[in-house]
Amino acid sequence: MKNAKVGSNAGILIQLFGTAVLPGCTLPRTSRVSRHDFMNYKNLTYRFRSIGTFFICLCVVVFSAGCGNSPYPAANSSRSILYLALTDDVKTLDPTIAYDVDSGSIVNLLYSSYFKYDYLKRNPLQLDLCLGARMPIVKKVRYLAAMPDGSKKMVDGQLWTFQIRSDLHFQNDPCFPHGQGRQITAADFIYSFKRMADPSVPCPIVAYFDTKIEGMAAYEAHNRKLINEHKKPDYSYPIAGLQLDRRNPYIFRILLNHPYPQLRYLMAMSFTAPLAHEAVEMYGAHLATHPVGCGQYVLAKYVPRGEIVLKTNPNRPVEYYPNTGMPGDRAAGLLVDAGKQLPLVNTVQFNIIREGITAWNEFRQGYLDATGVSQNNFQQAMPRPDYLSPDLAARGIRLVKSVGIDVDYYIFNMDDPVVGGFSARARHLRQAISMAIDEREEIDLETLGLGTPAQWLVPPGLFGYDPHYVNPYRVFNLQRAKALLAEAGYPNGIDPTTHKRLVIYYDNSYTDAAGRQALALHVRELDALGIDVVARSYRYNVFQDHVNNGQFQFANWGWVADYPDPENFAFLLYGPNKRPGPNESDYNNPEYNRIFAEMQTMNDTPARAHLIAELRDISVRDCPLVYQRHSEAYALVQPWLKNYKPNPIALDSPEYYRIDGALRAKLQHRWNKPKVWPLVLVLTLLIASAVPALNVVKQRANRHVRRSKPGGNAGS
Amino acid sequence: MIGYLIRRLLYSIPILIGVCFLTFVLFYMTASPTEIARRNLSAKNPTAQQIKDWEHQHGYDKPKWQQFVDTTEGLFLLRLGRSDSVKGERVMTRIKESWFPSFEIALLSFTAAITINLSLALVVAYFRGTYLDIYGTSLCVFMMSVTYLVYIIGGQFVFGRLLKLTPVAGFLPGWESLRFAFLPVVVAVISGMGASVRQFRTFMLDEMNQDYVRTARAKGVSEAQVLFKHVLKNAAIPVLTTSVQAIPGLFLGSILLESFFNIPGLGNYLVDAINSQDFAVVRAMVFIGALVTIFGYILTDISYALVDKRVRLE
Repeated sequence: MKNAKVGSNAGILIQLFGTAVLPGCTLPRTSRVSRHDFMNYKNLTYRFRSIGTFFICLCVVVFSAGCGNSPYPAANSSRSILYLALTDDVKTLDPTIAYDVDSGSIVNLLYSSYFKYDYLKRNPLQLDLCLGARMPIVKKVRYLAAMPDGSKKMVDGQLWTFQIRSDLHFQNDPCFPHGQGRQITAADFIYSFKRMADPSVPCPIVAYFDTKIEGMAAYEAHNRKLINEHKKPDYSYPIAGLQLDRRNPYIFRILLNHPYPQLRYLMAMSFTAPLAHEAVEMYGAHLATHPVGCGQYVLAKYVPRGEIVLKTNPNRPVEYYPNTGMPGDRAAGLLVDAGKQLPLVNTVQFNIIREGITAWNEFRQGYLDATGVSQNNFQQAMPRPDYLSPDLAARGIRLVKSVGIDVDYYIFNMDDPVVGGFSARARHLRQAISMAIDEREEIDLETLGLGTPAQWLVPPGLFGYDPHYVNPYRVFNLQRAKALLAEAGYPNGIDPTTHKRLVIYYDNSYTDAAGRQALALHVRELDALGIDVVARSYRYNVFQDHVNNGQFQFANWGWVADYPDPENFAFLLYGPNKRPGPNESDYNNPEYNRIFAEMQTMNDTPARAHLIAELRDISVRDCPLVYQRHSEAYALVQPWLKNYKPNPIALDSPEYYRIDGALRAKLQHRWNKPKVWPLVLVLTLLIASAVPALNVVKQRANRHVRRSKPGGNAGS
Repeated sequence: MIGYLIRRLLYSIPILIGVCFLTFVLFYMTASPTEIARRNLSAKNPTAQQIKDWEHQHGYDKPKWQQFVDTTEGLFLLRLGRSDSVKGERVMTRIKESWFPSFEIALLSFTAAITINLSLALVVAYFRGTYLDIYGTSLCVFMMSVTYLVYIIGGQFVFGRLLKLTPVAGFLPGWESLRFAFLPVVVAVISGMGASVRQFRTFMLDEMNQDYVRTARAKGVSEAQVLFKHVLKNAAIPVLTTSVQAIPGLFLGSILLESFFNIPGLGNYLVDAINSQDFAVVRAMVFIGALVTIFGYILTDISYALVDKRVRLE
């Protein structure tokens, strides 16, 4: 009898939770609750067939079948698969267009170039041959060059002769006959240069070439005319400066109208990687998602905003892990794989994870092989700079620091009537502002202590960087800054024309919370000097538009190297590079321009270092920029990921990584044992908490039974 | 009913044109084509010529009225065009590729939420006046006060990192997708539980105070029968109204959920488009959202007539 009553109560609860929950799904015939019904197996089964119960059962089945937190198939743990994360989806996989780091991280694994950066060598970074068979031969030539106005002029140019390897093939793809990647010849390199100059292809670095390669500007103009006439670009139009060798299909030459030693670095970029015309003709704009390359990997899977999977290219060029490195590399285990053929992992999977906390959780579980340390998880990873948290250290995780080849700075608009120009007043004003900005404090607050205060443009690790140099106007000294401000004609910051504090308009792209915090510091620093700052924050592209149009007075800017040469930084103040070129301040000092032009074409000699120092001294005195910092970053690396050495320029490092699959499988298993008992406990407590409610149900049911008894006595 | 449906469909045309116009105006108020070009061109300093070329390629150099007419016409014919991004992929192709993960998670969340929330609302209503009702309602208010983000991060932490029962993020096709869908579905259900249960409970209690319920009780009909046979049926219309509002979400996905759980669905696609100021994608998604919402409301009206015989669509 007791059991029957419990059954009745349970039945009501089952019905409440599991049945008749959707409109129109009531069960009229079975909805009358009686103790006999709920002891009836068939009726109970019928109730379980209802939608709600079915759904709960489905959840339980799915949950128990896939119990475990691994986002990958179980067998993959021990396989030669590298798991990395991208913070955003790639913009494009087209080697002629890709420029951002996320896109470059993939493109550089799919497309190889003539040169590549040595994986282990640093200070300076060293170029090695990749698709090239020999180092290029550079000859001085004097020839009659075509000028932009149509005239001819004798110039002292350079002729570079490149010879590529004869064993190169494109990856297999349906664009080739029988789907077999054909052999790569010098013509494929010439083709990629022509595509860069195609006006319908937005190549971001075409400006590095089109004014230097003989005939490239004319080719560009010819094709622009065709496009304006709604015709297709004509790739057969010759470029005089790009020449094939009639006798050797593996040799091509580039004729430059002036010496340009930096060409060697550009030949290491994916823009100059050989392109198959068959692929461009077949896929057109879809080359952005359908790469046909000649790198170590091929694209196996691309789920937009999901994942990108690369697999080893069967037609990859034969390359080996370097045999030599820097002092300390051998002790760090970075030469264990010396001489082995690349790549060392068969598959690379990039998970596109936009949210930092998600990437952090996956790394902690061992499902990402390496990750960066963002501001959000800085405290969890490192209680203090350079010190890995004991919890992570106990897991064998390593902390790796890297130094970027970049510089952040503030720019003064040199065309502005207040802060611009070369007058002593304006120069003193700029110098005063420069001395009032405490870079150490900015680094501590904005980047949690990460970064080297910049004294000038050239970052550490590049030729021409002087670690002992101290910029006299970047030493924080508020008293001296105030004195300079007075010399500029603004005693205590008071503008004599308005008799009020001088107002500076500060344009920036600080729109997020961290940015606003940084902005508050910048405003406070100049306020201490006695200047009022009006900060104007815009989305980055709007801000970029303002700066490129010169609609600013004082702004925040930065530069990341395209190639590791001081010219790539010193040109930020070269007059002819004025905005919308990289010289955003519009600084134009004839002396600087002259020395830069001389330095630009030189090899790395003491004389060149001397010229770089002269450039630095001139620009430091004029103070068109306030140098902030060269970046530093930390990465966390799992114990099973071998050969990890960050490279500030090259993005092909995954080719050199190796995975200890057995160790990964073991540690992942140890770190991720599912715990079901807390869930069971919570569910039990929830059910237990409902027990008193059962008594209420029981009482109501009993009342009902008593009332509904025909001719019954309510009091019985 | 046919006449009613035709009328509703005709009404929807000016609404859709209005949506297109508003999107167009708002877009031009927040960003100029030059700024969009800068955002989408893969370069540090795109040249003026490159920006001009980009504007030409994407039709932003045409007069504004012509841009509006062209794009609106395309949307009505479901020719959604190409994305403004460098990849320039077809929007329809991307939608076809991305709809399923969103749909799967949203459908599971929708079904689970309505099942569980309605069940709990019935429980709370059944136990009205008892401690279960008081605690349940208080818990609902508490759950409503917690932000969505806390549920997501908390869910990832508890189920993924602490209990190690589900993947923190990711998505695989086929049956494997159920494993990845579990946590987002749990988060979606729990995060909406407070508001829904409280609302459904109110619908139930409103009905339970009606005269016909009193009559049924007076006739000796059991409490369970009153609840399931009479109250539930009559509370169906408000429940339907609130539930159908979730239909656009089934197609467009949940933006935050997909972003945090790394689900390559339409919500994620929309986030990407908004962040990169990809107007072509945003206007297409807004149009589809409006279309689905209108369809959802028509469907609600039809379901009213099906559920309640007193309702006639004329």
